[in-house]
Amino acid sequence: MRRDTVDRIGALGYAAVDFVVIIFPAVALKLTADQGGMGDLDGIDLLLASGVLACAHAVVAGTRLRSEERMAVRRADMWIAAVDAIVVLALAATLLPMVVLWGFADEHASMAERGYPVVALWFGVQAVAVGLAELTGRIVFWWLEPHPRRPGSWRMAIGHASTRVNRSNRRGRRQRSVSARSPVRNETDAR
Amino acid sequence: MSRLSRRQFLAAGGGVIGAAASGVLLGGYVWPMLEEEDLIPGRPPDVALQPHAWSTIGDHIRFAAIGDNGSGGRQAMAVASRLAETYRELPFGLVALLGDISYYGNFEERYAEVFARPMAPLIDAGVGFELAIGNHDRDLRHSDEGLKEIEAELRLLGTPGLYYSTTHGPVDFYFLDSSMPGVFGPGSSTQWEWLDDSLASSTSQWKIVALHHPLYSSGHHGSTMVARERLEPILIRHHVDLVLAGHDHDYERTHPQHGITYVVSGGGCKTTPVGHSVFTAAAASILQFLVIDVDRDRLEGRCIRVDGTVVDRFALRAREGR
Repeated sequence: MRRDTVDRIGALGYAAVDFVVIIFPAVALKLTADQGGMGDLDGIDLLLASGVLACAHAVVAGTRLRSEERMAVRRADMWIAAVDAIVVLALAATLLPMVVLWGFADEHASMAERGYPVVALWFGVQAVAVGLAELTGRIVFWWLEPHPRRPGSWRMAIGHASTRVNRSNRRGRRQRSVSARSPVRNETDAR
Repeated sequence: MSRLSRRQFLAAGGGVIGAAASGVLLGGYVWPMLEEEDLIPGRPPDVALQPHAWSTIGDHIRFAAIGDNGSGGRQAMAVASRLAETYRELPFGLVALLGDISYYGNFEERYAEVFARPMAPLIDAGVGFELAIGNHDRDLRHSDEGLKEIEAELRLLGTPGLYYSTTHGPVDFYFLDSSMPGVFGPGSSTQWEWLDDSLASSTSQWKIVALHHPLYSSGHHGSTMVARERLEPILIRHHVDLVLAGHDHDYERTHPQHGITYVVSGGGCKTTPVGHSVFTAAAASILQFLVIDVDRDRLEGRCIRVDGTVVDRFALRAREGR
């Protein structure tokens, strides 16, 4: 199989996992409500909200993976970052809504009574989880990948030394500048 | 295969450890909780009911029984709405609360969310509420905090005591405290002596006992064996007809055990799986409540699911030879 085809399948699979992870809590709630005997439409609002978010983020995550495939110096970096992102997503997409709903049960109940749409809260909290996961994926990938030094870049300015090559370069420059001054000093000494 | 760099090792290790920890946390705690809890806020019922539409007379009463309904969430509100709708068709003057009327916080603070708002149509219609204390209403350990909580419940609901009896029409009701130390603690004998004496002096045609912990259950918590050992001989001795309980978030009715039918009605806002035991006559993991009609020597019970479906019916005859 061609490498591009494998990459496409990998990105699609990743997007599918991403979709399932986001929509799972809403599906679990819907199934429980159905089993309990709630009407067909109960819980569908949360399912739709999670579904919209899951579709959108699956596209974003799949696209991110494809673009990282093209950029990556080492393919392992891309997959490590992708796994880290999915772990953060799995944890945050379920745990955050639970913590928010449990911790502020009274506030949400009184807001719901005043007509506040619970679905907005659900969507908002899951969107935060998605944002965290996306940020994790991008930061970890950036952190893992080797970056060529550009003169005048901020990393250069603060003396960030990410590779041995750069450190030895710095040492090399220092040595060069010393040897450049030394002939002058030698001249002075000679005088 | 190339060696991992230090950063790759850290990121991959973090991912693997994170995945394992997430698996344990989500699979072991969060997902089951998501399925079992009722955390999504709901809207209270918006119906106006005809006040005092029921008729409780000497030989007739209709009452409802609901347990474990204290979440204030979407499912609790749906059950409360169905209870109000049922009142329209089958007016009842009493609701037996089978415990756990307040989750996710103490009752005094959550009174509006877990009781006043969901039950508002029934309260406005003049329906009475009588409570059997549950383990979530008072901490199982008999702490000061727990006592404060129970005092608030008794005060706000106008309940006469930790355990008490009332008479409505042809029925004597006995509401018990099955929490620590009501059943399990060293001082529990006081309650049993009171129950023994009260049942012995009862002259009503029907005797119904309500407590939170079920004596017979195939649900998540199962039968409360300590309560069964201590309580059952008294119930048998005095020919109690029906025992209502909650605690397990399901519906279960037993075949008569020594002449007594035991019903678990704990689907007031959450559900947990229920199995079938040798004593089970009907069981379902559903959101539900009971409506019970007592007419002279006949008792008819209906288990009503949140969508209005009657999922179980049972009939009892008053026992002879009392």
